[in-house]
Amino acid sequence: MKSTSYSEKVLEHFRNPRNVGVLEGDDVAAGKVGNPTCGDLMEVFIKVEDDVIVDAKFRTFGCGSAIATSSMTTEMVIGMKLEDAMKITREDVATELDGLPPIKMHCSNLAADALHEAIKNYRIARGDVIEEEKEEEIPEPECYVGKEKFLDKGFYTSVEDAEDFQGLRVLVVHTGDESVDTALELTSQTDRVILLTAAEEILTTKELSKELEMSSVKVLYQSRLLEIRGEIEVEKALIRNLDEEEDYELFVDAVVIID
Amino acid sequence: MKDEVYLDYQSAKPVDPRVVEGMKPYFTDLFGNPSSLHNTGDIATKALEESRREIAQLINADEDEIIFTSGATESINMAIIGYALKNRKKGKHIIISEVEHISIRNIAKYLEREGFEVSRVPVDQYGRIVLRKLEQRIRDDTILMSIGYASNEIGTIQPMKEIGKLAEERGIALHSDAVAAEGLIPIDVKRDGIHLMALSSNDLYGPRGVGALYMRKKYRINPLSIGGGQENGLRSGSENIPGIVGMKVASEILRSEMDEEVKRFKKYRDLLISTLLDTIPDTYLNGHPTERLPSNVHVRFEGLEGEALLLSFKDKQIAISTGSACTSKTLEPSHTLIATGLVHEEAHGSMQLTVGRFTEQSDIDRVLTATPEIVSKLREMSPIYKPKRKVLS
Repeated sequence: MKSTSYSEKVLEHFRNPRNVGVLEGDDVAAGKVGNPTCGDLMEVFIKVEDDVIVDAKFRTFGCGSAIATSSMTTEMVIGMKLEDAMKITREDVATELDGLPPIKMHCSNLAADALHEAIKNYRIARGDVIEEEKEEEIPEPECYVGKEKFLDKGFYTSVEDAEDFQGLRVLVVHTGDESVDTALELTSQTDRVILLTAAEEILTTKELSKELEMSSVKVLYQSRLLEIRGEIEVEKALIRNLDEEEDYELFVDAVVIID
Repeated sequence: MKDEVYLDYQSAKPVDPRVVEGMKPYFTDLFGNPSSLHNTGDIATKALEESRREIAQLINADEDEIIFTSGATESINMAIIGYALKNRKKGKHIIISEVEHISIRNIAKYLEREGFEVSRVPVDQYGRIVLRKLEQRIRDDTILMSIGYASNEIGTIQPMKEIGKLAEERGIALHSDAVAAEGLIPIDVKRDGIHLMALSSNDLYGPRGVGALYMRKKYRINPLSIGGGQENGLRSGSENIPGIVGMKVASEILRSEMDEEVKRFKKYRDLLISTLLDTIPDTYLNGHPTERLPSNVHVRFEGLEGEALLLSFKDKQIAISTGSACTSKTLEPSHTLIATGLVHEEAHGSMQLTVGRFTEQSDIDRVLTATPEIVSKLREMSPIYKPKRKVLS
């Protein structure tokens, strides 16, 4: 079966998605699942009155079925009691859509999970449930392989002259304001600068934040450098996506970690 | 189905009607087997040898250097596996690039399981082989390098002449998969220093199920199909004469019309690229800005996903491709885009358009009208799209 052999109902929801958007307010909670690095990210918003979901909206980055399942889920839950909405499964959503191609059942059918996440967040906010203990702080990204082998062969601890990086794909590990500044400076020489951080956002000065947002720097959040790889020079970086606990290789020409 | 605007020539091309006419007699009246010694057989032999001469001319080879096959995949298998097996006593190391077609990637994995060692040479951000890095991978026991002439996805053309020179200097055989490049840029195996090369008939607007392998004199491979000893014992099985004649006619048409045709492709390509980049914010070109196949457009829209893009175009009766046509069955992003340094989410948001012989200006207009609307609709839904550049509305 082709991965795009969708039922008419899936296609109809894809073409005319219901409830696209965001909700705001005290009686609103949101749930977010997936990761754009893997190809799917969904956000579901619910507005609750007397334990009943009175409105729901979504935003989705993903394939046709990701959009259709998000749309269907929001449609299903409006008017539903929280406890009933909690029972909706991925299979229920797929069934309502007259089925999904098998290959899509897992990856693009996360809307039910996002819904459950939103309900959980609503209950936490209301104080019905006590928030689970957050996992311990993510350690600084200092442990990686290849530092000695590639020193000055694509791995640098400082940027003396940005012109040396002309046209190269540069990975800068976020180690503080100076690294953000360096990343921004490099954009004058190359259109491919990646800033890597283990955190969910880059905490830096207001000016740098603003500059970063408008720049061509690609920020990879919740990511950690595990290893630098290459034949003789730097060619790849092995990166761990901390959110998904997945490792992948990113092709780069240089890695900069400012001490 | 003709109502669909077709901008996916890289995946499949229609057979030119003149080719179909040229093939017809060989299904019925001229049905002979070249192995037969009677007149009916002689007619088939003549057709086969004329075809061989034609394909040799297309790539500046000698006629006894052309072997007809069932298509490029078979040619590639013969070239890489056949050459590796024949020369395994000389060495067990093979080099391919990170942007090879999936068939070559899978053959490399197969050979690794069979005891060969494979190195993969990376490319720069435009998808071009970095010669220095290719050289760094050459070992004393390297017997073969396989570098695609141009990328079937992002359209980047490799510096084949320089790669060929390196191969000659180091005494290593060079195979090139020329399927994406054939018919679009002039290929000259002598100038480029190529020893083995795979060609497909469909990419010349000939029928599918036919292809050719170029093998330079003094180079040897082990045959993969053993039988009646056709094609100099290298590819047994009765020759597909109608198909081979089709490839010949396709090549003749191409040689006489290529210059004019390519001019048209370039005009469409450049118009598509410049309009898409200028009118849709946060849109980037994948592949090389100049060393690029004349028919290839490959762009990336920040914040959206390729399949949703493809389905939206499908609804508007426009056939496009996202990532590689061969990989859209899996959900993995294109290995070629990843090799240029993109992360998954970026690779997923890419669109490939390839123009061809029957593309018209009205097709280009339709896709240019449809794209901004589709992109902004999908971006409105996207939780990760944040506009970076403001455009004047």
